[in-house]
Amino acid sequence: MKLATASVTPVTYDQLKWLCACLALTLIAHLAALPIWLIVTVCAAAAIRLGLAARGRTAPPRGIRLCIAAVSITLLFLQYRTFNGLAAGTALLSLMAGLKLLELQSHRDFHIIILIIYFLNLAALLHSESFWLLGYLIAVSWLTSAALMRLTISTPPPAWQPSVRRAGRVLAQALPLTLILWLFFPRFDGPLWQMPQDKQGGESGLSDSMSPGDISDLAQSDDIAFRVHYIDAPPPPPQRYYRGPVLHDFDGHTWRRTHWDPTPVPPLVPMGIAYRYTLSLEPHPHNWLFALDWPTRWDLPGAVLTSDYTLVQPAPVSRPADIQAVSYSQMRTSDALNPAMRRRDTRLPPDRNPRSILLSQQLRSTHPDDMDFARAVLALFHDQPFFYTLKPPPLADDSVDEFLFESRRGFCGHYASAFAMLMRAAGIPARVVTGYQGGTFNRYADYWILRQSDAHAWDEIWIEGRGWVRIDPTSAIAPERVERGLNDALVADGPLAGRWQRHSPWIADLRLRLDALGQQWRRSILQFDQKSQDNLLVMLYISEPDGHKLVMVLAVGLTLALLWLTWQVRREMRPPVKDPLVRAYARLCRKMANIGVPRRLHEGAEDYAERVAGLRPDLAAELTVLCRHYTELRYGTSKAELAFISGVRAFRPRTR
Amino acid sequence: MSTWRQKAITRLRAWAARRHGEDALPVTIDRRRIYILPTRFGLMLAALIVAMLIAGLNYNSNLGLAFAFLMASIALVAMHHCHRNLLGLGVDVNVEADAFAGEDAAFEFTLRNASAVDRRDIEIHLVADAEALKSVGANSDERVTVTVAAARRGVMRFSQFELRTRHPFGWFRAWTYVQGSLSAFVAPQPRGDRRPSAAAAEGSVPRSEARGEEEFAGLRTYTPGVPLKHMAWKVLARGGDAAVRGYTGLAAQPEWLEWSALEGLDTEARLSQLCRWVLANEAGYRRAYGLRIPGAEISPGWGAAHRIRCLRALTLHQAEPSSPLEPRR
Repeated sequence: MKLATASVTPVTYDQLKWLCACLALTLIAHLAALPIWLIVTVCAAAAIRLGLAARGRTAPPRGIRLCIAAVSITLLFLQYRTFNGLAAGTALLSLMAGLKLLELQSHRDFHIIILIIYFLNLAALLHSESFWLLGYLIAVSWLTSAALMRLTISTPPPAWQPSVRRAGRVLAQALPLTLILWLFFPRFDGPLWQMPQDKQGGESGLSDSMSPGDISDLAQSDDIAFRVHYIDAPPPPPQRYYRGPVLHDFDGHTWRRTHWDPTPVPPLVPMGIAYRYTLSLEPHPHNWLFALDWPTRWDLPGAVLTSDYTLVQPAPVSRPADIQAVSYSQMRTSDALNPAMRRRDTRLPPDRNPRSILLSQQLRSTHPDDMDFARAVLALFHDQPFFYTLKPPPLADDSVDEFLFESRRGFCGHYASAFAMLMRAAGIPARVVTGYQGGTFNRYADYWILRQSDAHAWDEIWIEGRGWVRIDPTSAIAPERVERGLNDALVADGPLAGRWQRHSPWIADLRLRLDALGQQWRRSILQFDQKSQDNLLVMLYISEPDGHKLVMVLAVGLTLALLWLTWQVRREMRPPVKDPLVRAYARLCRKMANIGVPRRLHEGAEDYAERVAGLRPDLAAELTVLCRHYTELRYGTSKAELAFISGVRAFRPRTR
Repeated sequence: MSTWRQKAITRLRAWAARRHGEDALPVTIDRRRIYILPTRFGLMLAALIVAMLIAGLNYNSNLGLAFAFLMASIALVAMHHCHRNLLGLGVDVNVEADAFAGEDAAFEFTLRNASAVDRRDIEIHLVADAEALKSVGANSDERVTVTVAAARRGVMRFSQFELRTRHPFGWFRAWTYVQGSLSAFVAPQPRGDRRPSAAAAEGSVPRSEARGEEEFAGLRTYTPGVPLKHMAWKVLARGGDAAVRGYTGLAAQPEWLEWSALEGLDTEARLSQLCRWVLANEAGYRRAYGLRIPGAEISPGWGAAHRIRCLRALTLHQAEPSSPLEPRR
């Protein structure tokens, strides 16, 4: 009899069904990242192949398959312009799995799809690092292994449970090994080689320009920008300004960041209270970081301060980053303002916003002192009927004119923009600072959450002798915003869509708890690195941990784990051991049978002893004790089990 | 490549034979004789795991690394399970099988699983094309028949057979060699239309006509293969054991099947004709017969054992020493 070798055995409908299910479960994890047409193609391929298999037919003709493959791969290339990198690679693999499914005929094709499924599971984990996703993907891999086992078993059992159970046992036995490998496998600082960076991370967030309405759009989002943990006491609410990009160039409507910045960084003399904190930044598509005003020290390699005190790094923040930094509540710049900076920060488009320029000049004539003038403008915002709202009307080109004299309804960006423009019109250097302000305290894990809804814009003006001074015009119109946060400031707007959760205390509480757990997950698992490994070794009483010691611990741990595995795998094979008590009693009966007094099948232990006492009075005492022990141990609550077993061992009846 | 591989396998088999020596059946497979290597699929998986590790390291992803390690650990555990699938398995086999040339010789294997876990997909491999696959449940035995195509008359000897498994995921193949001498006695194909020799010519008349000359000579116990017309149905109907009517004349006039009666035929044709006569005599269940061929004479008799003796004599007549069949994967 010839056994067909596995590589050419046709695949059955049942196996195909399992494979399609596993592939579908894997693709669910990629659903958001894959283009729709690709998902449709893969689903169609699976449906066609399953339909054919259900009718007992094999793959569609080669010509059709080649056509589909050529068209879809071309489409893929047009979409991504590359096959390299995580996103394009994932899409390509998914497509290949679908195409392979279409032409699937032998077990070898099946094997390839199984391997693709495993790799897609990994790719999903590179995309997102959520705890739930890890659990889900491990479950998918479990099912995939079960499907693979069903494929290898040539005489499949009718039910699927045995395969799932067996694959589950393999998975369970693999977990200790995995843990040891993961804990002690040496980590490297950087990547082995540079991979093309995908655009990833949060799409929302501050950008390098600000038009009227930008920040209020952003404030609708509940996405988290970063979290801050203060090592000592946190700063009071009016000082919780987290600095982001500083905007200098104003075209009458939009403020923009200057990309080319030749001016040297003015020395910064910190004053006031020092705040030490850890800022955990979520990824965003730009290269700036956020820091509490005013940052003086930070531990992120490559990060530098620009001339306007924004912390930037060379590459965009594509991965979550932890920054330990120190900021001071106040600072002063001893030098005079650099002329180039002064020119930059007093420049205005001459032909825009004429009414505002006029207003500024009028006010200036009565307030020659710079600080007085600034206060007068703030008083203007405060006294005139200006409103703070998240739904400001759209503004045309001369945005400041329109805002100051017509709509008078605006969000923080409107006020910051108008204020800076009025300052510049009066010849005072002014710039718009964007960033975040306030935050929500998470009492479950002692940190502050800064969401996109905490995005804010304020101004800095140059006062001779004092340097850059922070002025927040929003505080003039809605002081609650700075003191207590957006929700309290926006009472006039009523509850907003997407914000109702924060009005429901228990949902807000649950969110905080989940966020705290997520942070725990991130710190202990996602950010596990060389330092954590060193700490681990110290916990294992290994002093001065280094790479060599780590590898040695890994080797020892693996050896132990493999020994355990061998033992475990053999142990499962052993037939179940009978109760030692029952065995000992059986031995007792055997011994008695050998001297010619066997126990009758119907006799209980005590009856037996009684009967033997009549036949062999010399054995009566010993046997009665043993049998009573047995009865007690088996049916009673006595703890004399060991005494009984050793009693039997010592009992040596002889034939008379 | 395949010749290189075949050479390697041949050498390995020879080495295993020297190492373990002749096995006394039944054999329990112990740790020392199980070999294990990754399959092609296993090598593909290894490459995949390396790729996963590199991806995890490159993207600095702890979860990616964890998943890569999980896959590596699963592969390690699967290796143990594959090994365990053979470990402690008991094997027994009927070492002799009979067949006629052109038919199949069947070896009856017994797989004994005394452990508490199922053993899935044990493959018994005798030679290429002589394989069988069986799963053995926990604490149970399974009988497996492996058939070998018997092309030519003679004795096929197998000094070794192989047990293999790829369970659970097909990433590893564990195998073991059992040094058990199996022999398939391939009798000549029953063929030819000559009548038995002149010395027994009177016996060559059609059986139905000869029936009248025979005398009923009591009952014999039934053995399989007896023509239904000889069954003693009445005995059976009375509730007795199955019995067969025996006739005199059997003992009285033994028939000699003579090599010398077949002049003009070549050796194989003679043997085929003799074989056919033996079968005809047994099937006819008529009278004792003896076999006389160069180098062997079997005195008259009948019955299953006698038949086997005759057939074996025909099988072994000038049989070439069996060429070891090429093992092939």
